[in-house]
Amino acid sequence: MSVLEVQDIEVFYGDAQALFGVSLTVEQGEIVTIVGSNGAGKTTTLRAIAGIRPLAKGEVAFEGTSLKGVPAGERPGMGIALVPEGRELWPQMTVEENLELGAFSPRARKDRVATLRYVYTLFPRLAERRRQLAGTMSGGEQQMCAIGRALMSKPRLLMFDEPSLGLAPILVQQVFANVQRLRDEGLTILLVEQNLKKALETADRGYVIETGAIAQYGPASELLADESIRAAYLGI
Amino acid sequence: MDQFLSLVVSAVLLAGLYAAMAFGLGLIYGVLRIVNLAHGGVIMAGAYTTWVLFTRFGMDPYLSIPIVVPLAFLFGVGLYKGLVRFLPRGAAGGVQSLLLLFGVWLVMQNVAYLLFSGNDQAIRTSYSTRGLSLLGVIVPLNRLVVFVIGLLTLAVLHVLLTRTYVGKAIRAVAQNPDSCTLVGIDVERIYTLTFAIGTALAGLAGLLLSTLFAFNPGAGAVELLKSFVIVVLGGLGSVVGIALGAFVLATVEVFSILVLPSFLTAAVGFVLLVLVLVFRPGGLFGQKVLS
Repeated sequence: MSVLEVQDIEVFYGDAQALFGVSLTVEQGEIVTIVGSNGAGKTTTLRAIAGIRPLAKGEVAFEGTSLKGVPAGERPGMGIALVPEGRELWPQMTVEENLELGAFSPRARKDRVATLRYVYTLFPRLAERRRQLAGTMSGGEQQMCAIGRALMSKPRLLMFDEPSLGLAPILVQQVFANVQRLRDEGLTILLVEQNLKKALETADRGYVIETGAIAQYGPASELLADESIRAAYLGI
Repeated sequence: MDQFLSLVVSAVLLAGLYAAMAFGLGLIYGVLRIVNLAHGGVIMAGAYTTWVLFTRFGMDPYLSIPIVVPLAFLFGVGLYKGLVRFLPRGAAGGVQSLLLLFGVWLVMQNVAYLLFSGNDQAIRTSYSTRGLSLLGVIVPLNRLVVFVIGLLTLAVLHVLLTRTYVGKAIRAVAQNPDSCTLVGIDVERIYTLTFAIGTALAGLAGLLLSTLFAFNPGAGAVELLKSFVIVVLGGLGSVVGIALGAFVLATVEVFSILVLPSFLTAAVGFVLLVLVLVFRPGGLFGQKVLS
């Protein structure tokens, strides 16, 4: 049974169709990446899985259970977490308050003390900054806080939307190292990235999305070696 | 010196009442970005509910708090679910929400005229005229009680918003509702709850006012306007800011009687409002609008 199974989904923004039948699967313990250019539908796919964008057609199943009719607000409680593009923290609240709210769902809330300790051992920097307002931290620290907040919901599937966006190169390295580390901790990861090279180097499998449909997919190393992909996205 | 001291005491006591009046308006604005024009109507309704309980059932106004506040809360839930929920949010919804809630206020006012006529009513208890000596100044007992209740309300609100899960969720929704959905916070539920708490606070303010002043169905207008001044003074969406804003308005009003004829007292607050909007649009205390 796959952790995530997306079947032929279509999504519209008003009259404009953004996804034309996207299908993908993510297996237990995998890092799967969706790559593609700006506006291809990567973020929309993640938002559809998180339940923030309604589906016009198709289905999303998590651990064999259909998510049809499950509102976005209940999906974190089931074990699906999204680290959104641009971090989307609560800037006027402390780091610790941001993390605490990550454990809002009842299932996560009862373990919040233990989970918080775990997040602090994972990111000691967050423990140092716990009393600081999230909005006053650097981009890299905010990214850590956003990941920590997602972890607080005790997810089994963790989705990242453009985690490297707007970060300095050295921090980009760190973000991808963190993604791998979280997989080693037992999480299943779906990663959306514009930084195709880094994403495919980190992932096990990849999907290339073009104008709202999957154009190619396969093991990440094969995609990385593919001539047409190298030409189109890496300019090599 | 005596006069100075007595003015200070009056200002502090008045600030407690003003703060209690403004909390509800500030909370709803801070989270839903809606100026609740029905605030004045709920204040009036709170006063009348207290009066009915007092005249029909002989209930002491302060002991009616556990009845009036939950009633106002439920009214807030109904108002949100029945009407406010359908409004567009933020700057885009400004005009619609002002018109709708102003309409709600007019309806409430006219229902009150129908039920209670336009005559002034007042609540006179056995202790209404009693005074207490405070720092050598004689202070009406009611004023003191209202002040203490105002302070307690501030404390409860502050603890609610900073120490409880629900309170933190309310603040999070004020700052970024989209990411709240991502962690499983039901944003609509928080909006309902916030609107209801804000309405309950307006009901409490009405109860407190009814112990101090006579009122009729037109009551609440001045209170709404002053609340608005306070919320702007204090910086939108901060409990402590609102308390400070209330203190500033009360102090300025009370001390203005030294230099201005008393009929101009009410105007002082609005002059202050204009000055703040021109020179410190973020509020007197530098609190940024939570965006």
